Amino acid sequence: MTEEAYGSGPERHRLTRRRFIRTTGAAGAGAVAAGMIPSRAAAAGTGTAGYPVQPIVELSALAPETTVPFTYPDDRAPALLLRMSESALGGVGPDSSIVAFSTLCTHKGCPVSYRPEHRLLICPCHWSTFDPAKAGGLVIGQASQALARIELRIESDMVVATGVDGLIYGRHTNLI
Amino acid sequence: MTRVPIPPADAERRNTVCQFCIVGCGYRVLKWPEGREGGPAPGENALGLDLREPLPPNSDWIAPAMHRIITERDGRRFHVAILPDGRCSVNHGLASVRGAGLAQTLYAPDQETKARLHVPMILGPQRHERTSWWEAVDLGSRVVKAVMDRWGPDTVGMKFFDHGGGGGGFENNWAVGRLFFSGIGTRTASIHNRPAYNSEVHAAGDAGLAPLTNAYLDARLADTVVIVGANPYETQTNYFLDHMAPNLQGATLRSKQAAFGAEPVEPGRMIVIDPRRTMTVAAAEAAGGADRVMHLDLEPGTDIALLNAIARVILDRRWHDVDFLRRHCEWQTFESYQRSTLQVDRPAGEVVAHAARRCGIAPERIREAARWIAAPKPGGFRRRTLLHYEKGLIWGLKNYENIAAIVGLGLLAGNVGKPGTGISRLGGHQEGYVRPPYPGGRPALNVDESVRRGEAKVFWVGGCNPVLTTLRAEAMERALKQRGRIVTDALHATHGAPVGERVAAVVEAMKRGGMFILVQDIYLTATARHAHLVLPAAQWGEMNLTSINGERRLRLYERFMDPPGEAIPDWAIAARFAKRLRELYLDDRNPLMANRFLDFEWRSDEDVFIHARYQFDGGANDPMEGYAGVTYDLLRRLGNEGIQTPVRMVNRVPSGTVRLHEDGRFFTPSGKARFIPAPLPWPGYGAAFEAQRRRYRFWVNNGRTNHIWQTLYHHRHVPFYRDRVPLPYIEMHPEDARSLGVEPGDLVELSNDVGTVRATAYPTTAVKRGHTFMVFGQPRGAAGDLVSDHVDPTTTIPYYKGAWADIRRIGPQPGTRHVSFRPQNVAG
Repeated sequence: MTEEAYGSGPERHRLTRRRFIRTTGAAGAGAVAAGMIPSRAAAAGTGTAGYPVQPIVELSALAPETTVPFTYPDDRAPALLLRMSESALGGVGPDSSIVAFSTLCTHKGCPVSYRPEHRLLICPCHWSTFDPAKAGGLVIGQASQALARIELRIESDMVVATGVDGLIYGRHTNLI
Repeated sequence: MTRVPIPPADAERRNTVCQFCIVGCGYRVLKWPEGREGGPAPGENALGLDLREPLPPNSDWIAPAMHRIITERDGRRFHVAILPDGRCSVNHGLASVRGAGLAQTLYAPDQETKARLHVPMILGPQRHERTSWWEAVDLGSRVVKAVMDRWGPDTVGMKFFDHGGGGGGFENNWAVGRLFFSGIGTRTASIHNRPAYNSEVHAAGDAGLAPLTNAYLDARLADTVVIVGANPYETQTNYFLDHMAPNLQGATLRSKQAAFGAEPVEPGRMIVIDPRRTMTVAAAEAAGGADRVMHLDLEPGTDIALLNAIARVILDRRWHDVDFLRRHCEWQTFESYQRSTLQVDRPAGEVVAHAARRCGIAPERIREAARWIAAPKPGGFRRRTLLHYEKGLIWGLKNYENIAAIVGLGLLAGNVGKPGTGISRLGGHQEGYVRPPYPGGRPALNVDESVRRGEAKVFWVGGCNPVLTTLRAEAMERALKQRGRIVTDALHATHGAPVGERVAAVVEAMKRGGMFILVQDIYLTATARHAHLVLPAAQWGEMNLTSINGERRLRLYERFMDPPGEAIPDWAIAARFAKRLRELYLDDRNPLMANRFLDFEWRSDEDVFIHARYQFDGGANDPMEGYAGVTYDLLRRLGNEGIQTPVRMVNRVPSGTVRLHEDGRFFTPSGKARFIPAPLPWPGYGAAFEAQRRRYRFWVNNGRTNHIWQTLYHHRHVPFYRDRVPLPYIEMHPEDARSLGVEPGDLVELSNDVGTVRATAYPTTAVKRGHTFMVFGQPRGAAGDLVSDHVDPTTTIPYYKGAWADIRRIGPQPGTRHVSFRPQNVAG
């Protein structure tokens, strides 16, 4: 077997696209009381780099293999929150099993849907498939990046969106 | 926050075509200075789009992967965006996973592509050291001349690109051919991963067929598309997505009605002949429904038996095209084909049953496949079937007989030269072949053997990497290392001496088994590490080049940036050596030899293109690549639509060819197509492979996959691709994995009597029990390490897909936590 110069030293196995920034947003945390869902506007400016802090769902309402559709960071950006039955890269909550993604396929913008029997997000247009347990990475297909990942955190019993890692399809910047 | 800059309305615009696969999707290049940006209003940006709102699906969205900042030789920095061209009829704005990342392959001094070769280098005492072009060309030319003079031209061995796109182009292919064939005159030539200089489809040529007969339009019009040994969703992506899938979905019915009038039409069907249940099968089923897709998962090496059994059913049911056979085929070859290939002296039921056992395919499925291919449609109209094949057949058990079988099946039902039909390879690389004739015969010399045995004194490798991709790859590397070392010692011993002394020392080293190695490439590949001279080449985008795609669409891939450092196009490297060789022979008062290196005085990419063009006269005998009368100016005007070759001169105007053989003429002396009778219904594995099959538990298939191109020569420098395939993976059935105690992501070792290689286990039901599939050409493990050096003696093409090995678990593989091992063949 032959090994060639490959990648860039110690970074070669790093999950380079995903940095899993731990969001700071301490002010936002204070604003979210258990059982209370503040408006998007009320929480705006307290997430990562200007993203709104947006409560999605109560943690106690999330059984494994549950999905919750929502929009983020604005009403024109459909997204899906999943509580998986396994731990997921970048996941939050029990066993790091909760993740969320923009559902716009990063190939041509069609809506991906979750197929629990395969544990994959699949695009109906050109059949790109993404693994929610691997940061929304492309398993096979024609997208040139992972699905844009919604950054989450848990505040009391609430799963809260605080930012987006990766560009959402159809935008030159996520906040337009 | 991730953000893609907006190209200003006055951004520079160029057309190009993807550098990677045969499909050759059109792309637009936008370039503008760093520090400038357009606005989001439609009039403020080069896209003409309102970016204040999210774009709807299927828009001209610039994904982050489509953008990069480059640095020109003079230090100026520019934004470059490369996005799929919605006006190109090949891809209609679709990008594949590879094409969407074209911008990531551009040279940038602050990105990983800074690994590009910048300057000529010579192997010094410790490592490669910078040298000048003059010194590199002078030393290399003197060595080549000394070897030619002493041992003859055949001792100068070469292994070079000969394709299109990033793998050559008409310009570079012509220059390389002139240097080695009409210049040096060597027969010791070979093509990228192959051991010899040969067509991969000699049998199609002998039958009178061009390798690429159909237009992509035909995949939209066909009643049935047959795919043998290919996986177009992954490796001819937008041909599948933009042409085949819409046909299966019924989205091309109007085109069919417009083309065929009263002939009944319906959504297309697809037959996939492949041992694996690939993503192509899954996506085809998602597009057309499982009842319109037939997957024949045959046993390895049994394609000949299966294809010929299907043909026998067609003949037996009298679905063959008698009119086509009488008018356009050499009848006596058809009679021989019936007797020896289709075994008409035996009952059809017996022939089919025998083939069924051999292939592992039920007899009724063989009969159903024949029905899908050739049963007449209501009203007695002939079914239109498009037959495609690629490496599964080409690199199968017997290259020549495999291709003869698919060609016979196609001709039998008249499926060529008509809309919705064709008998074509799907293709891997793009094409762009134009060279003076290869000086050798058929079968061609085996260059790998010549390198290993010591006959080749010089080995010159261009744009390919045999250490990773040839068969018996370990033995190839050993030869480069050991034989190269002898010359290296001679060069070290004469370090600083006059060049004449150094060349004399090299020649003495060659007498002791040494070999002088030159590599011209864009990166320091595993092969280049052994080279005495490393020559930096320009790549796609850094020169103008022309190529044709799988439907022979010729386009200009425009230059839009400088090559790094002192890199120059491959044609210019060839020209520098030719000019120096001419000077050396003139100094030697040998005008006869000097004149072999005349006419390399090209000043531009187009000069080379036009020079090569005189190989074609625009008449009926031009090969499929013929481009008589075509200029860069014409191609610029035609943009990414280009013109389909062969280009004929009609009333002195260049005129393209949508599909070949439409006039009923074939490339044989009689003008009629020939059947190529098989000597046996199925040739058997042969002693070497039979022994491997009996000795080892697993069949190790190998091939290309969705994310990565060839040896990842670019993609190893782009995290998105590299992170998906950080190590070569091997698909194995989950039950086989369990029996070995193997979990997804575990490291396993494969070994047989040829070699050993390690890979990451990827359990999947895509493969049957006892079958495996390993990624081809991954830099960290070459499937070729297991492949024996057996070749089809008729064509010198190896049975690359034929290796059997045992597998053992090594243990968990660190660094795979981020890698998904979810199924890669799920679509609906």
